Order: sequence, then structure tokens, then C-alpha cells
Amino acid sequence: MVAAGTQERDAPPGEIPQVVEHLFRHEWGKMVSRLTSIFGIDRLSLAEDLVQEALARALQTWPYYGVPKNPAAWIMQVSKNLAIDYVRREKVFRDKEAEIISLLEQHNTISNRSPSFAEEIKDDGLRMMFVCCHPIVPREAQVALALKILCGFSPAEIGKALLASEAAVAKKLTRAKEKIRSAGIAFAVPTGKELSERLAGVLQTLYLLFNEGYKASSGPRLVREELCHEAIRLTSFLAENPVGNCPKVHALLALMLFNAARLPTRLDSNGDILLLKEQDRSRWDRPLVSRGMSHFSQSAAGDEISEYHIQAGIAACHCAAPDYESTDWPNILSLYDGLVEIDDSPVVALNRAVAIANVHGVEAGIEAAAAIRGRAKLDAYYLLYAVLGEFEAQLNHRDAAAGYFRRALELADTRSERQFLAKKLKESLQGEKEKKQKKRRATEAIG
Amino acid sequence: MSIEWTPSEYLLLFRNAGDWHRGLSPQELQEVTDQWMTWFNRLSELGKVTAGQPLMHEGKIVSGKNGQFVADGPFAESKETIGGYFLLSVKSADEAIAIARECPGLAYGMRVEVRPVAAKCALRETAEAELAQSHA
Repeated sequence: MVAAGTQERDAPPGEIPQVVEHLFRHEWGKMVSRLTSIFGIDRLSLAEDLVQEALARALQTWPYYGVPKNPAAWIMQVSKNLAIDYVRREKVFRDKEAEIISLLEQHNTISNRSPSFAEEIKDDGLRMMFVCCHPIVPREAQVALALKILCGFSPAEIGKALLASEAAVAKKLTRAKEKIRSAGIAFAVPTGKELSERLAGVLQTLYLLFNEGYKASSGPRLVREELCHEAIRLTSFLAENPVGNCPKVHALLALMLFNAARLPTRLDSNGDILLLKEQDRSRWDRPLVSRGMSHFSQSAAGDEISEYHIQAGIAACHCAAPDYESTDWPNILSLYDGLVEIDDSPVVALNRAVAIANVHGVEAGIEAAAAIRGRAKLDAYYLLYAVLGEFEAQLNHRDAAAGYFRRALELADTRSERQFLAKKLKESLQGEKEKKQKKRRATEAIG
Repeated sequence: MSIEWTPSEYLLLFRNAGDWHRGLSPQELQEVTDQWMTWFNRLSELGKVTAGQPLMHEGKIVSGKNGQFVADGPFAESKETIGGYFLLSVKSADEAIAIARECPGLAYGMRVEVRPVAAKCALRETAEAELAQSHA
């Protein structure tokens, strides 16, 4: 039963048979969704166990017999076979047994390449996405749940990515699944009026997932980049689907793609932060930028302008500039003007102050930073002081700059951030010393 | 009688194979699969592995003088579960052990048993030689 797909397997001996990158992880998401759709949402953990076992079977047999010609279909078929065995053996589904088995047997995954079957698999993935991002689950737990169910991350991997302990993640996941089960959430894509509201929730979670990877928080760089790429994969999946093929989704996807294109250049070889100004633009991922541009143009349909549209627009300006000097700051500033109207968070206002400084001069930037509404909320935000320090440094107010950088240094919590600020602080202190020396020399000369 | 050098055979048995992979994520499972595949291919190409197969966990144990007892087992939960074997053709025990040390499952708690396959010669050849002499 388990040796399904034997007729299709066998990579020729001698060839190094590498499995497509992340295949297991991605097939996991598809198959857990498919089995959950058959067993019901209250059997989510069972679906996970069965797919885990199928992957273990791959580990057990592929090294000896080679990678199957269609590894994804193999995983699907073995998962289904294991599910059928389970249903027959455990009798947990009693009167539903025959129905479930016929559903499982309905499609022979190896031979079935019909578009309708592919659609079904996609629909299940979509349903699962709406379950993971259901509003009864707290937002943070939604991100963890999406990583576990849709992306096949283990609690340990999620912990590493979200800077939490494995135990804390496991607990969060158990609670979230319990909530889903007890609330009897439908395994379905919402329709009508509910759809746009729920879709907004899905987008927020995907955006949060992306940002978890993108923000320069601590943790291994590779893990964080994987989060970004998983967020892009899920958002692309959504955008390709009729349900998600709408301007807002394309805008979010464009935003992610533009930012992801710059990922390889955000840190130098020592892992230290590089400013936009200092990044090697020739190393920006051009294919990602053009994918971003394509989705950005698709986002222009319709009359709604979401925060994702504006942020994508800002990111597009940066990606389109061949060098820092030719950045279209006036356009960026007008986009920020629009963004503060939708999102009145002080962080957005701080970014706008930087744009103002670039258009109207540093003094105007400082004024704008001072005028941020709810600025008190930024009191413990290291970037506020980093920005103010940069402003003062540009005005050659070295003492003031050093003061701000020192404060920022106290608040920053990752190594690369601290390293960066320490460098800035050193520069301003050196500048200060030089200035004093110059002054002294000047007075000596006069004297 | 001339002594011909023949490579010795060793059997590698992969033990504790029942649930060592339970805690692994799909990504880790894929990585170990790749590593194991590369390992097996390399050894096969070098002629170091002459046979190798995975074993299913389910099975029966037959016992009793007349084989009257047929029980289920061994069980996947058992630390002794054998997940598969390699038949090695190597120059020495050291080489067999060195190969066992490369097993990608070790990092996850799998254990590798290294057993020399008993050579045909020794006792049998002595006995046959003696037998031939006594007939002479």
C-alpha cells in the first residue's frame, strides 16, 4: 500500500538526486489542508500526524530507491494511503468511514493531472488560510499557526523565527487549535460581505509575517529571510486565486517583493546594517523588482487606496532610483502625506520627517519630528534617536548628535543595530574632537 | 595454500529507527533525506555498499519449537527497531566504522550497529583441508 508510485520512481543511479528546495515544507501545507478538508477541521492534528508520517516514509525509502519522478504526487499519494489505513484500522469515523474512504480514493494523485483536481487542492489551501487567520485566534497566534500549518515549520523553527521559546510556541499553537475546534469554525472561504473583512484580516497576518522576517530584529538572518519568502509565497497564492485577485492583495504583494529585493544588501559582510544610501544597488534582486512592478500595476485597478498601495508606492520609488541621489523624494513625501492620513502611527510620522528632511532640508525634518503627534509613544523607540542623531550630524551639531546616538544605543536591542549606532556615535565624537582641535589650532594661530 | 586478500563484508544496521524522526520538521526531514541519499549514492558508486534496503516497521516474530507462535512485532516504539541495512564491502573494520560514523541519522539519536559478516573460511576451510588429508 505504502510503496505507492513505485512505477514512477527511480532517479537514474549516479545522478545526485536533490529534492527541490522546500518541497517537503510546501507539500506539507497542501496535504494537511487536503486531509483536513476530508476529515473535518476538528481532526487537524490527525491530518498533521499523517502527513508527518508520509514524509518520514520518504526519508526511509528515497535514499535507497531514488527520488520519485513526481515527488509531490508521491507524498500526496502516500499521505492518502496512510489516511485510508488509519480510517480502516481505527474505526474512529464509524458511520462516516465509507464516505471518507471514497473521498480519499476519488483521486488517484499520481495519474490525476486534471485541472479540476489542481483547483481542489488550491481551494483547500485557501480555506486553510482563512482558518489560520480567523479573527477568534489572536493575531500573534495566527502568524504562528500559518507557519505551522501552511508552511510546515516546527515549533522550534517558529520559535527561532519569532524570537520565542519552543515551549511558548507549542502552547500558543495548542491553544489556537483548541479555539478553532471548540468554536467549530467552518473549513470554508467566507462569502459576501464577510469576505472582504476576513480577507483584510488574512492580509494583515501575511503582512505581519513578512515584517517579522523583514524587521532587523535579532535572530539568524537566514531564518528571517525565509519568513519573508514564505509570506510572499502565500500572498502570491492568494493573488492567483479569484478570491484574492484584487487590488489590495496585489499592492501588498508588490510591497513585499520590493522590500525582499533589497534583503541581500541590507547588511554588510560582517552582518552590520547598511543604510539605503550605502547599499549596493546592483545587488538588488531585479527579477523580484520586476515581479513587484507587475503586481504594483495590477494594484492600480479599482478606486480603493490602501496603506499597502502607498507603502508599495514608496518602496517602488526606492527600487526605481538608480542611485540614492536620484531618489524621487518629493514623490515619496507626497506618498507619506497620504499615508499619515490612513495610518496616524508616530512611526509613520517619523518616516515622513525623514522624507521632509530630504525635500525641504534638515531643519524642516527636525521640526516635523518635534511635531509628531503622540510622540511620547516613541520615547523608547531607538529609531527616533537614531534619526534625530543623523539630522544633528548633518547640521554638524556633533555634541547633540552624539547625545542622540548614545540614547539610541541604550535602546537598541540587536547586535547589528548596536554596532551601527556605535559606529555613528564614534564618528560624531571624532568629529567633535577634530572640531575642538581645529578651534584650538585656530586660537593658537591667532595667539 | 595461497592466502588471497579479499575485502571483508560488514553489515550496518540502523537502529532506534522507529520514531527518531518524529520531532523533525518537514524541512529537517527533507535535509536528512538529501544527506542520506547523497551518502548512499556516493558509497554505492565507490563500490563500498553492495546492497542496502529499508525495512518496514511492522512485521511478525515467529518462535516456538515448531514455529507455532507468530506474534506481532517488533514495534516501531522499540529502541531496537531496525530501519534498514547496508551491506559494506570494505578493507577493514576501521573503514566500516568510519562509514557508520557518517550516518546522517546519528545526529537525531539513531544508532548504527556495525557487524562483520562471518567469513566462509576459517573453521570450514580447516575442516575441509583436514578431511581431504584424511582421505588421502
